[in-house]
Amino acid sequence: MNFFDYHHFPVYSIMVLFLGAFLIVLMGKNKTVRNIIAFAAMACSVACMLALFKPVMLEGEIISYWMGNRSIAGGYAIGIALEVDALGLFFGLLISSVVFVAGLYSFQYMSHDDNQQQYYTLFLMLAGGVMGLVLSGDIFNMFIMIEILTFAAVALTAFRNQVYGALEAAFKYLVVGSIGSTCILVGITILYAQAHTLNFAQLSLLIPGNLNNATKLAFALLYIGFSTKAFLVPFHPLAADAHGAAPASVSVLISGVLTKSGIYGIIRLTYFLFQTMGLGSMQFMLVFVGCVSMFVCVTMALAQHDFKRLLAFHSISQIGYVLTAVGLCTALGISSGLYHAMNHTLFKGLLFLAAGAVLHETGTTDLGKLGGLSKKMPQTTILFLIGAFSISGVPPFNGFASKWMIYQATYQKAVESGNIGFLLVTVICLVTSILTLASFVKVSQSVFFGQLPKEYENVKEVGLGMRFAMGLLALACIVSGLFPELVTTYITEPAAAAVFNVGNYISAMGFDGSAVAAGTVSFESVGVWTPVSWLLVLCIALLAITIVALAGKYDRVSAHEGGETVDTKYQLFYGGEENVFSQVGGDDLFWGFKHNWKGYFNFMHDMHSGIVNDYALWAVVALALAIVFTQIVL
Amino acid sequence: MITTILLDALQYLGYILIFPGFLFCFLIGMLLCGIDRKLVARMQKRVGPPILQPFYDFFKLMGKETIIPAQANRTVFLVAPLFGLAALVVIQMFIPIFSFSAFSGMADIIVILYLLLIPALSAIMGAAATGSPYAGVGLSREMVVIISCELPLVMVLLAVAKTVGDALGVGLCFSLSDIAAYQAVNGSLITKLSMIPAALAFMMVIPGETGNHPFDAAEAETELCEGMLAEYSGAPLGVYKLSHAIKMLTLTSLFVALFLGGLGTGIVILDAIIMVVICVVLTAVCISLVHAITARLKIEQIFKYYWTVVSGLALISLVLAWYGL
Repeated sequence: MNFFDYHHFPVYSIMVLFLGAFLIVLMGKNKTVRNIIAFAAMACSVACMLALFKPVMLEGEIISYWMGNRSIAGGYAIGIALEVDALGLFFGLLISSVVFVAGLYSFQYMSHDDNQQQYYTLFLMLAGGVMGLVLSGDIFNMFIMIEILTFAAVALTAFRNQVYGALEAAFKYLVVGSIGSTCILVGITILYAQAHTLNFAQLSLLIPGNLNNATKLAFALLYIGFSTKAFLVPFHPLAADAHGAAPASVSVLISGVLTKSGIYGIIRLTYFLFQTMGLGSMQFMLVFVGCVSMFVCVTMALAQHDFKRLLAFHSISQIGYVLTAVGLCTALGISSGLYHAMNHTLFKGLLFLAAGAVLHETGTTDLGKLGGLSKKMPQTTILFLIGAFSISGVPPFNGFASKWMIYQATYQKAVESGNIGFLLVTVICLVTSILTLASFVKVSQSVFFGQLPKEYENVKEVGLGMRFAMGLLALACIVSGLFPELVTTYITEPAAAAVFNVGNYISAMGFDGSAVAAGTVSFESVGVWTPVSWLLVLCIALLAITIVALAGKYDRVSAHEGGETVDTKYQLFYGGEENVFSQVGGDDLFWGFKHNWKGYFNFMHDMHSGIVNDYALWAVVALALAIVFTQIVL
Repeated sequence: MITTILLDALQYLGYILIFPGFLFCFLIGMLLCGIDRKLVARMQKRVGPPILQPFYDFFKLMGKETIIPAQANRTVFLVAPLFGLAALVVIQMFIPIFSFSAFSGMADIIVILYLLLIPALSAIMGAAATGSPYAGVGLSREMVVIISCELPLVMVLLAVAKTVGDALGVGLCFSLSDIAAYQAVNGSLITKLSMIPAALAFMMVIPGETGNHPFDAAEAETELCEGMLAEYSGAPLGVYKLSHAIKMLTLTSLFVALFLGGLGTGIVILDAIIMVVICVVLTAVCISLVHAITARLKIEQIFKYYWTVVSGLALISLVLAWYGL
């Protein structure tokens, strides 16, 4: 048996993470040993995924892997199987790399915390759980992995239990997360009862032709289960609490990894298991939930006054984009949705790490208390701005490239289907993007620019390890924004092709999937955008202007040079009033906007009561609606 | 081989530096600004400054001392104006002058919409970097104005994309050069019934985007002391004034490219002159006239106005375009 055959790599990439977790429990008392084990586990996982890039993404191979050498017996696939197609690998690559970066960041970020042994154990368990989820080929293993990752995530949310609200957040997450997990379990049970198999490929073969009331119920249950994992509306308040309380490196995982696993589950459920996406009503459901998540969460984010809670709401808003694009059921839609999912992982990771850096140095993430940190933390500021511009869709960063494709996809869908509703979707997408920008202007004004409060005068730049991790993500944001063609050709199009060719997925497991219709993923972009040439022209123009400006003595500046007393001409202008600290920031920054929407904002404020009973109620209502909806339309 | 590459490079450098790039933008933008000031003054029965006054102001500011506030982030404070100016000049090069465009096939109308954010965003970042409370209030209002203008602008652009796409038989068309080519053959878009409300909405967006009366809450001299520019002095202030002038040119020429593309003659110089003349007329109507007869609106009124009246017009246009009228 050749251990270095790439067919073993999927299972290695999961195994090393769990192995790392157990080893840290056993011998992780020493800091160096612990860090080496964690680093090695994460690096191996990434390496395994990268090694699969060529066969799976480029050559289109689908790897099916049976644990314990089992195989199909008597026409039923019973046993633990892994199946890696381009879609699974896409998510696997994304997850393992962001876990790696978050791990690198943790080494320094968590160095002042107690119980680091437990932290790394849980961290690797969470990572392993998500990897197992996206690579698993049978639905019951998916459930086990969901349980592992949910409980690891709950424990990590409450990891800093001395922080106000951490336990409460974890409790809420536990309650609603358990409702979601239970839904998934019940859904799986129903499917097993109906189809007598748990294998994904075989279910995809058996279920779509034989829909009955029971399998429709299973669909609703699984959908709700996966949307709790993705924190889609109405499960969004949990994310805000969890992100607010968890350490930044864990927030990166919750936002970049856990939500993606939910999206992955929904794609597998709708495109593979039930193959219902051809139905207009199914597309409507996903696009509707996507748009509501997008818009509600961006307005919720505008109203936040905590850095990390604000990011948490944005996280769901961006997931709304992904779901909307995926729900369009067009080649361009899925491709752009996956592209945005990737970009979201990168820029949101970067933003959470920047928030973590601020928390690490100042001890708070309250937008009302911070200000003026750009003079103290210049590099973090630049990195934060890259992330902020990416998420707001400012060209040429990656968020723009993928959002621009989503706008096209929605508008094209509107024209092709003749449904004016999709036109509204395009408008909502565009408006959400500008509101995202607004809330990041608020963050940059309240945290990095503006006036520096007295108590933060001794704040220093964060350590090199943390800046390095942020730098990696920032670089990825820029590169994937500058070369959208490369990303779509080599990464998202193979994954989109996998979504449209379910037959191949079924055949790879050993069943006859040739009856399942295959689709093509060729699409033509209706717009034009060549970021590299734009950047080139901009640089030349900037250079020319700078040369002219410098020749015209642009740098003939007079600045205040140290010293205690500041000459009045270097002081801020107060129109003759007394010079007092007057930072403008926090949640009142966009008063002009919120004033017109005060009914809406008050309603939202009342709705998000923070009481876990309410949120559990929402979950039950959502489940009821989903059940009714699926019984009617499927 | 090498000579052709060199010649190409030289040609593109000429585009960037002279026409339709930096020098063209500088001269025409300042001219528009001067005409605007003169017109407003005449409408208000004042004599007004000479038309070349913006040039004098600019060169005077370039020679003045630049004071950096002690609290400010020096790099951002100094780089932001230059960056915004460069981004504006680049947008101007993407907007076709009838059939002529310096860089075709690099950006479509959605991209232009987002590129237009960059100058505003760099101004916001520069203002935020000063730490001044006046700038803080100014940038918050500026952002609200951007949000306000975004919705109508988006709908106008979508309506144009649908109309041209329908006519070309491809469903939608985001490409500016295709829109220009379509208009060169079939006449200006404004002659279509469905485009008239969109054109009106776009005209109302122009003063908002440039930050002119009555939508200048962001720099309200009398209450915020120029808001975002409160701490700027000397050369950076001059660059901001220049950017403001160029923005007038950018928006009016975008209007020409979107709605009046059928007026071109095919001769570049003549086309450029025609475009400048239309830009002057548009500036007079959309900016000067409105400036002279209105008082400044409050920020929440600006938002309300754009999201109801202007967006309503744009929506009418979008619905009409959807049904192919």
